[in-house]
Amino acid sequence: MKVGLYEKLVRAGATRRDVLKGAASMAAIAAASGAGLGALTRPASAASELRAKILQIPGVGKGQPTDADFQKVGELCLEATKANVKEGEFAGVELKFMGLNNQNLHNVLFRGFLKPWEAYTGAKISWIDLAQADYNARLQQSIATGTVDFDIAEMGAPFEGDVCGKGLTSEMPDWVKKQIDIDDLVNYLKPPVGTWEGKQYRVTIDGDTHNFNYRADVFADPDLAKQWKDSGGAGEWGVPKTWQQVQAVTKFLKGKKFKGQDVYGYLDAPKPWGGFGFYFLGSRATAYAKHPDDKAWLFDADTMKPRINNPAWVRAIQDVIDALPSEPADQINADPNTTGFQQFLAGTGSMIPWWGDIGSNAKTNDSSVVGDLCGFDILPGSDDVYNSKTGQWDKLPGGPNYAPNLAYLGWGIYVMARVDSDPKKQKAAWSAAAHLGGKDLAIWTAMYPSGFQCYRNSQHDIDEWVAAGYDKAFISNYLDSQFNSYNHPNGAIEPRIPGIFQYYSAAEDILANTFAGKMKAQEGADAIAAAWEKLTDQIGREKQIKLYKASLGV
Amino acid sequence: MNRGPAAAPGHAFQLRLREEPPKRAEFVADQTSTANQWPAGAGAYDLISPARKRLGWTLMAAATLGLLATIVFEILYRAETETWRPAVYAYVLWGVALGIGQVLTRGEDGQRALFLLPALLFTIAMVIFPTLFGFYIALTDWNLSSFSGRKFNGLDNFWQMLGDPYYRNALFNMVLYVLAVAVEYVIAFGLALLLNAQIRARKFFRVVFLMPLMLSPVAVSWMIGKSLMEYRFGPAATLARHLGWDNPAFFSDPITARISIMILDAWTFIPFMMIMLLAGLQAMSREVLEAARVDGANAWQTFWQVTFPLMLPVSVTAVILRIIFKLKLADIIITVTSGGPGGATDSVSSFIYREYRDRSNVGYGTMLAMAYLVIIVVFVTWLLKIANRFVRNVN
Repeated sequence: MKVGLYEKLVRAGATRRDVLKGAASMAAIAAASGAGLGALTRPASAASELRAKILQIPGVGKGQPTDADFQKVGELCLEATKANVKEGEFAGVELKFMGLNNQNLHNVLFRGFLKPWEAYTGAKISWIDLAQADYNARLQQSIATGTVDFDIAEMGAPFEGDVCGKGLTSEMPDWVKKQIDIDDLVNYLKPPVGTWEGKQYRVTIDGDTHNFNYRADVFADPDLAKQWKDSGGAGEWGVPKTWQQVQAVTKFLKGKKFKGQDVYGYLDAPKPWGGFGFYFLGSRATAYAKHPDDKAWLFDADTMKPRINNPAWVRAIQDVIDALPSEPADQINADPNTTGFQQFLAGTGSMIPWWGDIGSNAKTNDSSVVGDLCGFDILPGSDDVYNSKTGQWDKLPGGPNYAPNLAYLGWGIYVMARVDSDPKKQKAAWSAAAHLGGKDLAIWTAMYPSGFQCYRNSQHDIDEWVAAGYDKAFISNYLDSQFNSYNHPNGAIEPRIPGIFQYYSAAEDILANTFAGKMKAQEGADAIAAAWEKLTDQIGREKQIKLYKASLGV
Repeated sequence: MNRGPAAAPGHAFQLRLREEPPKRAEFVADQTSTANQWPAGAGAYDLISPARKRLGWTLMAAATLGLLATIVFEILYRAETETWRPAVYAYVLWGVALGIGQVLTRGEDGQRALFLLPALLFTIAMVIFPTLFGFYIALTDWNLSSFSGRKFNGLDNFWQMLGDPYYRNALFNMVLYVLAVAVEYVIAFGLALLLNAQIRARKFFRVVFLMPLMLSPVAVSWMIGKSLMEYRFGPAATLARHLGWDNPAFFSDPITARISIMILDAWTFIPFMMIMLLAGLQAMSREVLEAARVDGANAWQTFWQVTFPLMLPVSVTAVILRIIFKLKLADIIITVTSGGPGGATDSVSSFIYREYRDRSNVGYGTMLAMAYLVIIVVFVTWLLKIANRFVRNVN
């Protein structure tokens, strides 16, 4: 759960009611499990009792959890560890854990969760805390200079190519898979994500995807509906379902007023953002470029030849160029942070793609004025999709092609191969990782501020969220947009090849010039393709091809 | 150290008696001797036996050999050792041995060297070696994600740099940024004159005008570039709308964006020039100004023919220091525009930052940085020469 979403419950006017409602539901569950009212609620298994219990620490709406709460939750979730590890089994083992300390989350929580684990197992953990901005440089330098000085790492899936692809990680033992109930992961986080050459490496603790955030009030407004009809707009006025509609609506809304203010349509993020900005072009492109019959969409799997300059991507780039004149005047200088937090949440624009943060900040961020006005969905589709194999645009029989951009793939815990020479240390490291990736701990981290989103199917039980104090309509809409992206059969999986952010960053620079009018869409795309080819050769083409295929599972 | 001919083996001992203090250089030079040449009146402290010298030389030679052996071993067996620490320890030990060796072989002269040696060794380790190593890195193909690691590729990075339109664009922008220093100088001089005059609350204004300099450029970027100048809600944008500018987007077209960045940077650093010029004005002799007034010069004549020429040395120092600061401009650009729109505001440092940090392209990034270092050194040296000549001619 992002901090914002949680704080919403703390600060929102409805909190007391919601909390009471949640408390009442919680009491009902407790009563049901205690008094055998199984007919009214679900069966009171030990697991659900435990879940209900941890979700009351400290209680949704009762303020920010503290270190004592983290430890309590960690203690209660130790049962799975106890089934595989004897008390004091890891006495004398020392482990180094490298992770983030963003917003006082991540490692800060891990410390609390792992304290009871340390007390039970006898192992001792020392910590390397990093700011997000320092993370990539620290990791890359450790790898390049052969100074991996940590046993366990919190890491994003895009870095798997740099780490797992170079044989630096330890393979997950079968008992860990069982302990964390690995089959419970949402589809897109199942292999090949987390695996290299068939070997499982990652304990997933987070999920990430781009969803579609829109202003429900704009698309339900009768005046705008009338103007849309009058202007000859195709179909009924409503939330766009395809990128073709997004473009049409964006152009239509130029110069229109809504509630006395300028209303804009889609907001692009043309300004470079350390490579992360490329995901936003990706979200525009996946419906065009990700064919259901082809797992690859960014490079040709057999040659690593970039597809960035194929007609699908060029169309996405052209879409940005065409839409920018209908967007706010300074849009060229907007990065994703601006579009999300300074524009959309502040009431400018009516459509953006983003990670789950927009939904979780909508009602909580102080600068947000769209709390009750926004809705969520998976990314728009396209009436036609480019087929790289035939070089043709295909119209699918089932209607528009949808391909959610499963951007970044979330955080995971990885055990480094350097522990493999010591079986006791290896088991200790995997036990710590498994504890953090536990199924019950996951529902707690999803509901309370942790920096992590849902990543398991078992977290999609709306009743459990409502029982804990969440508003049903809001959480259903929000979670559906996430889970329907996660489990989509045509999701665009990120290539987890080494140096993937270098590709993104190089593209961002060239795209910035293209969007500024220095190059045409095709010229810009060709320049990116040339830069990527060079980068692939520099990093090592044969290896990249092999790893790209492995990352796609082909 | 001036060892002098007397120190050579076989020369007659020439130590002068203490009651006739020699010139310092000679005294320092004449401390070595052999036992049978021990003169009357000379203390043991001043004389060094051959055995002691041999010990010193042996120690230094052994430490040097140890250091070289460690380095060779590290190079040959890098994969096994996985760390350069042994070389660092060997360097430290070598430094200690060198110090002891100096004392053993050169006596008081060596002791004096001990004052200098730590700083010298530290500079070698922290400045000279990294710079030379940096030049070597610049000649390699080193992408941190590359499977084959670092590879020597000669001048490939240099040729790539010459053909890199983004680097050329950044260099061109730097020319514009440096030219903007002239405007900053005029404003800073004006403010310095104002704060040097007898105005009310002068001390208050002096402190207030200095405050932007105390702020981190990153804070300035957020406070001004991303808040005050924000298109939707920024007060500067709102004011601009009131003044009739329909779309006050400060960073959307190349010229406006460049000017906006220049203003942001100027706002931070004008106080730096101002305070230097103010110090110069205050150090100026009042008598000269009074003499000008007595001679009937008006305010403009006093400024242009007396104050300005007298202030030239300070002005030159202030402008050159400011140019050096300007050449490093990066933080504001990285935070506010990321070099955009379309590279219009990119500086060399912000471009290198992206090449290095976002793209882990260490070899090429280092080449860009080293080439820029050479450009800066040459440019500043040339600037200093021109400035010296200019000051000389005017005065």
